[in-house]
Amino acid sequence: MEPRTLVIGIGNPLQCDDGLGACAAQLLAEEALPAGVQIEELGTPGWGLVNFLQGWQRVILIDAVCMGEEPGTWRRLEKDEIQLVASDQVRSLHEPGLAESLSLAQTLGLLPDEIVLYGVEPACIQPGDKLSPAVRQAMPPLIKHILGELWKKTQTPNGSF
Amino acid sequence: MSKRIDVHHVTRVEGHGNIVVEVANSQLKECRFDVVETPRFFEAMLLGRPYTEASHITSRICGICATGHATTSLRASEKALGIEPSQQTVLLRKLSFHGEILDSHILHVYMLVAPDFLGVGSVIPLASSHPEVVLRALRMKKLSGDMCAIVTGRHTHPIAMTVGGFTHFPKRAELESLRQRLEAARADVDATVELFASLPWPQFERDTEYISLTKPDEYAFIDGEIKSSDGMKLPIESYREVTNEYMVPHSTAKFTRFQRESYMVGALARFNNNYDQLHPRAKAAAAALGMKPKVTNTYLNSGAQVVEITHCIEDAILIVDQLLEKGVTPEEPVAPTRQSGEGVGSCDVPRGILFHHYWIGEDGNITGANCIIPTNQNIANLEADMRVLVPQIMDKPVDGMRLDLEMMVRAYDPCISCSVHVAKLVTK
Repeated sequence: MEPRTLVIGIGNPLQCDDGLGACAAQLLAEEALPAGVQIEELGTPGWGLVNFLQGWQRVILIDAVCMGEEPGTWRRLEKDEIQLVASDQVRSLHEPGLAESLSLAQTLGLLPDEIVLYGVEPACIQPGDKLSPAVRQAMPPLIKHILGELWKKTQTPNGSF
Repeated sequence: MSKRIDVHHVTRVEGHGNIVVEVANSQLKECRFDVVETPRFFEAMLLGRPYTEASHITSRICGICATGHATTSLRASEKALGIEPSQQTVLLRKLSFHGEILDSHILHVYMLVAPDFLGVGSVIPLASSHPEVVLRALRMKKLSGDMCAIVTGRHTHPIAMTVGGFTHFPKRAELESLRQRLEAARADVDATVELFASLPWPQFERDTEYISLTKPDEYAFIDGEIKSSDGMKLPIESYREVTNEYMVPHSTAKFTRFQRESYMVGALARFNNNYDQLHPRAKAAAAALGMKPKVTNTYLNSGAQVVEITHCIEDAILIVDQLLEKGVTPEEPVAPTRQSGEGVGSCDVPRGILFHHYWIGEDGNITGANCIIPTNQNIANLEADMRVLVPQIMDKPVDGMRLDLEMMVRAYDPCISCSVHVAKLVTK
């Protein structure tokens, strides 16, 4: 089967919790994945993100997002919700941010059919290469949830999963 | 009559910087470019780490200059430990470096500079009004990103580059496919030159000192000597004689000066210092843009980037031909000839000359590190340009002045988040 789902971890591992997307991508890559799923750890791709969105049915992004929640809280945001928060509440941690890259992709008609953002509330964005305890504790349930989503949406025709 | 312009966090430059200009009674009272980014402690992060990790750590300083930092870091460690990389390694590094120069320049001229000239606020409205322009930029960016990934094993942050060589090697079929794509990209390069040659570049002249690397046999990006347009060459180990870093109250970045009050680094400095070594097609691009050294219009730093886009595509074809002719052979990285030492690596990365200076102890851990980034070498020069520019534009409405000043800042392509580093970290 051709790859259909791309999971992208975003963020700078040298800025503490900003690196949570990179960490999540590495953890996912160590797991058993359904056919058709590819994991990319893109660090801080800036506009480059736009080029990675093309050609996939579904793209799942994982990034630190300031949502005003308790540190370590994560939310699963779908296409419309991402745009909603991008315009207002979410201050992206990269320049240009996730919101700008997704907006550009949408303007050019390059967004995949399905796009999901797992946003995790960071506790600490400053130079340093360790995740905060709150975000570190959020990783295992987050990974488990994403794996559940990946296996569910890519089930084989005979429904073996 | 007085005017004050405060542009907080200039949009469309990497990181954050503030322009503060105050004019009262037609006199320039204040003119500065503040850097307010939180200091970044990358040098501190290197301390106590094995030298083998340094390139991976420093490549995370920036998503735009990841290969540039990694290559400079590797050269610093190699010089410290007496390692001479193989000819194949040198060629592969050049190829990925060209990929990064292309990637960065394409982003800068299309996503950050073009919206100013085409009268739209940012690249997102540009994508509505001129989708073909943005799609071309993304196509070219994809090629340059893939070029890096084929050589370094990963997009954005290289993983296969190591001290003494590589841990991953491109396959023949990948290089053949890359060569075809590079040839096909000439049409996009020509369209890029045509577009930027047609734009109304602002008039501005101020002669300054231009500093870049230089090499006897090629347009220098990796290694060589430091060259000043005022006529002096120094070994890269003498970088401190050139950079003379000093602190100013309004910035958390350090300023630099050499033989004048300030100097400029980046594409325009390389163009002015090493024009003769550009590929003939790149010289033709320069002619189309009306550029011949010495160019003293700072805005044309972006023009020099267009010239270098042409050069790097053509030179990448030549490098791929050499690699295909010789064949890429998997080889072990060259081993150190000594256990400890001190070394300076230097590359001319997209935004200008970059230095990494490392001290490595007997246990292979880094005991001291100094990194001098292009953008902080440019800030004093940017302020000097603004002091000349403001009296020329002070009759304009504030909005017009603001745009001119922002365009001037963007011409430097500053990456401010990278330019800030703490003052004293060498623990030796």
